[in-house]
Amino acid sequence: MNWDILIFLYLALAMSISSLLAVVSRNPVHAVLWVLVMILHQAFLLYTLGSEFLTAVQIIVYAGAVLVLFLFVVYMINLRKEERWRIFIQRSSLGLIVFLVFVVLFFKNLAFLTALSPSFQAALPMDLNQGTNLWWMARYLYSHYLFQFEIIGVILLVAVLGAVFLLRKLKEVA
Amino acid sequence: MVPFNYYVILSLLLFLIGLLGVLFRRNLIILLVSLEIMMNALIILFAGISHYTKDVTGYLIVFFLIGMAAAEAGVGLSLVVLLYKKLKKVYADEINYFRG
Repeated sequence: MNWDILIFLYLALAMSISSLLAVVSRNPVHAVLWVLVMILHQAFLLYTLGSEFLTAVQIIVYAGAVLVLFLFVVYMINLRKEERWRIFIQRSSLGLIVFLVFVVLFFKNLAFLTALSPSFQAALPMDLNQGTNLWWMARYLYSHYLFQFEIIGVILLVAVLGAVFLLRKLKEVA
Repeated sequence: MVPFNYYVILSLLLFLIGLLGVLFRRNLIILLVSLEIMMNALIILFAGISHYTKDVTGYLIVFFLIGMAAAEAGVGLSLVVLLYKKLKKVYADEINYFRG
């Protein structure tokens, strides 16, 4: 038992418990804060997976922008805590059937997924002796994936314009 | 070196927890939070594949996924705010504006 596996087990346990608590908590503020705990642990997991840049992006974008947006909306629309313990919607038996189908399908295909890893051929290989992870990412991002990079910029622009358009003053239309 | 199977199992576990939230919660904001949890499961899977095959593609897909998640949260939360301004409700089973 070496330190890698211990650190991974701690991160996995913390992420599972905090996301489960986020899903079952009654107060939306608590749910968003538990997701924040999960995001920070996941940032460290990305660091152990060898990418420092994605750790920084995860903390800046998720913890700094997305979750602050969620908290802002939760405070803005003044959500009360759910009085009754009625987190389950009606027709929850149908949802349970869908959930069990997903569980069975995942664990049936688990052997397939885990056997997949040695058979991959690296399409865009990186050699960590010649450059850091960020260097290789930047090199391929601005050469092979330039079009997709432009597309993600357009998607973010459309999302901003859509949010502004949806929340404009409604009396201008009438 | 942690085996690759552990990352796959962690990713499936987080995806199932997010699916539990999407299927069973009635608060629309927590539903969007559950979507974020499911997207984080995908991030772990892609970064793990990329780490074990010494390939850059998975890391780049994670980069694109984080951008997509930001766009999705912006549009989804603006729709929730619009629904709250119009109906004063954020619970999915109370919204019957179209008599659905």
